[in-house]
Amino acid sequence: MRRYLGLVRVQVKAALLLALQYRLDFCLEVVMALLWSGTALVPLYVLFSIRDGVQGWTAEEMLVVVGFFTLLKGVLATVIQPSLAQAVEHIRKGTLDFLLLKPADAQFLLSTSKLELAHLADVLAGIGIIVWALTHLPGRLTAFGFLLALALLGCALMILYAIWILVVSLAFRVVKIDNMNYLIVSLFEAARWPASIFRGALAILFTFVIPLALLTTYPALALLGKAAFTHLVTAVIVAFGLLATSRLAWTRALRSYAGASS
Amino acid sequence: MLKERAVIEVDRLVKHYHVHERPPGVAAAVRSLFSRPTRVVKAVDEISFKIEPGERVGFLGPNGAGKTTTLKMLSGLLFPTAGSARVAGHVPFERKPEFLRSIMLVAGQKQQLLWDLPPAETFELNRAIYDLDRKAFRATLDELVAVLQLDGLLEKPVRQLSLGERMKCELAAALLHRPRVMFLDEPTIGLDVTMQAAVRDFIRRHNERHAATIILTSHYMDDVAALCPRVIAIDRGRLVWDGSLSDLVRETRPEKQISLKLATPVEPAELELAGARVLSHAGLEIKLQVSQAELPAAVSALLSRLRVVDLTVEEAPLEEVLSDLFARQAT
Amino acid sequence: MTHAALPPPAAGSRLRDISLYRALRAFPGLLRVGFAGAVAYRAEFLVWVLAYTMPLIMLGLWTAVAADGPVGRFGEREFSGYFAATLLVRLSSGAWVIWDLNWEVRQGTLQRRLLWPIHALLTYLAENLAALPMRLAIALPIALLTTLWLGPAIWASDPIQLAIVPLSLFGAFLLTFLPMAIIGTLSLWWESSVALYDLWLALYTVFSGYVVPLELFPPGLGRIVAWLPFRQMLAFPVENMIGLVSRERALHDLGIQWAYVALFALLAHLMWRAGIKRFAAFGG
Repeated sequence: MRRYLGLVRVQVKAALLLALQYRLDFCLEVVMALLWSGTALVPLYVLFSIRDGVQGWTAEEMLVVVGFFTLLKGVLATVIQPSLAQAVEHIRKGTLDFLLLKPADAQFLLSTSKLELAHLADVLAGIGIIVWALTHLPGRLTAFGFLLALALLGCALMILYAIWILVVSLAFRVVKIDNMNYLIVSLFEAARWPASIFRGALAILFTFVIPLALLTTYPALALLGKAAFTHLVTAVIVAFGLLATSRLAWTRALRSYAGASS
Repeated sequence: MLKERAVIEVDRLVKHYHVHERPPGVAAAVRSLFSRPTRVVKAVDEISFKIEPGERVGFLGPNGAGKTTTLKMLSGLLFPTAGSARVAGHVPFERKPEFLRSIMLVAGQKQQLLWDLPPAETFELNRAIYDLDRKAFRATLDELVAVLQLDGLLEKPVRQLSLGERMKCELAAALLHRPRVMFLDEPTIGLDVTMQAAVRDFIRRHNERHAATIILTSHYMDDVAALCPRVIAIDRGRLVWDGSLSDLVRETRPEKQISLKLATPVEPAELELAGARVLSHAGLEIKLQVSQAELPAAVSALLSRLRVVDLTVEEAPLEEVLSDLFARQAT
Repeated sequence: MTHAALPPPAAGSRLRDISLYRALRAFPGLLRVGFAGAVAYRAEFLVWVLAYTMPLIMLGLWTAVAADGPVGRFGEREFSGYFAATLLVRLSSGAWVIWDLNWEVRQGTLQRRLLWPIHALLTYLAENLAALPMRLAIALPIALLTTLWLGPAIWASDPIQLAIVPLSLFGAFLLTFLPMAIIGTLSLWWESSVALYDLWLALYTVFSGYVVPLELFPPGLGRIVAWLPFRQMLAFPVENMIGLVSRERALHDLGIQWAYVALFALLAHLMWRAGIKRFAAFGG
């Protein structure tokens, strides 16, 4: 365990050095990350200058969902996306072999192979949005709600990670998969609204095909005092189920792995 | 009759780069937030030469000597810092279309073929880009396919071809527009021995048939020895040799090497000969170095004194000649 | 020793000195090869197309809003038509030159293009245009589906406005391509210029009508936004397509759109020239 923590420290330090070296780029990336989070708020701003609520959600309540969305997007962009891109490169060039020769779990190494620290700004921004929204919703937050939200957030992170591993396992078979990264992010955009907003065919697509509702709506419901223990149970089941499936897919894929021909 | 003008004329060409220094480590990285030192790298430092049409010239030099930089300046990809160059009657860095039509550049390490498509598509692309008349294009292509033995390769995606096959297709693609000047930057790198010979052969025959001028850089001495009667040696941006290869050998390392195979082992003392130096003595196999003048005497002495099974006389390996040449420049 | 005869200069050789003429002659060949490349990458292309989810997500939001009552003149049907048209415009005006350009500069493979006697930006244009048939192959079924779902009355009825549609789409494509080319050219100075494109994209997302119809903006902001190029990249073609603007307004916007095209084309050409000079001075 200690060794893995040490490995993480090394990766973080490497990312930090890189950020310092390309300092102008780093500042720009932070600014851009915040700008993008800002654009997510524009349609809501326009909307709530005309209306008071949508489908039973008020502006402040929707902001809590957007806050979680921004936070998770930040995690995606900091840890998952860069590593995914790196993994795909390795598989495509056949240099995954070097990784597999190292005396550490390959899945772990691949997961932490690259970090984009600039997007931590998104994580902070997301937290900021949630805090701001909650200050305008006095009395809604309870200790239970807070703990529930944390647990649901943890499940959301596990689900994202599991999806990531599944995609990488897929990459072993379908080599040119770089834009899968882009696809995941695009689909994840659906998590920016409370799940109940989507009706009809879209609702089915976004709720059952990909469990996006769980990711942002559930933690928001928890903070707003509208979630129950059953939400947590569902989330945990889905999270662990996906994690197990992804680990299985990973080991399968690794076994059938053959390096690219020269 | 008017004497044909040199196809390449280079006069005191200079190329300087400004490079930022980037030391490793966190502290240095933080310091670099406040001040960044730069230094000047003299990649090419006043080089002059002339090349006549139809010549085959080899550029030699250690890594980072300035060979590729010079090549890039001659093909118009880089501006010189000072000095002038004329290639095929044009100033390269003006990049006039007529100039671009008369040159080609093939780099062994940088691929120009479209990766996921068959070579035939790249050929089509070049036909469109160089605006080649269809009949002439077909004729040239057929000739290249025959000479380079590309049959069966044209319809396979490039990523499925071997390195050697890819190189042959690269050459074909670059010759479709019949350039007068060919710049070849390490064309045989990574190829197996047979393929290297095939590529060399092709280049030489192309030069003989079409009088295309050839500038070649390579680290493989066999390339240079086989292809380039004239070599230009560049070291640290300066021209250190411009002349024939044999003259280079004669002036730098005129000594010959004698390789002996003996029937019975001998004591080192027995190998003492006037003007001879023992390079290696491993059991029955011996290598000696002898000056040109002492050679006949040394050979007859060895043959009469020792029981010799086999004796070969050859020049010093080209690699050693060049190391000598460049080491000499360092002093 | 035989000397190969250089092909004699073609009759129109003076014409060949004109860059645009050379490019036009090369275009058919370039487009053909570009199309072959697009077909070779068809699997990736499909994934890219599937990733156009944003219009659907916005559609989800705004129709939910309209379910409680129309917003301005947008009811559920109007919002659906708007975002379906948005998807169509996005599909037919996509380009990717900035990533290619940035990649080639960083890998050093730009030198291949620089050795061609054709303006490099025009070769990129051909490559990006060559993917159009495949994009249309996806867009047309979607247009059909939209017609079936919302009824043919959703489209503009004025014949002039319908005639403008292809022009406006081509203009939108050029307004996507040219800023990409301009920002990509910045890679010749600054390796990470792609980040600037992110900025452009963010402004586009907000001011082009991608996430909310521009009509719904507060009036003061709306007036400024009407003159920005972003409107011409998306909102104008969309509004024209579904008849949200009058014919006079459509023609007026068409003029502005192509004025921007001319402006960006000039800017791209000048920047490229300067960029190549700088690139050649500092090493490729």
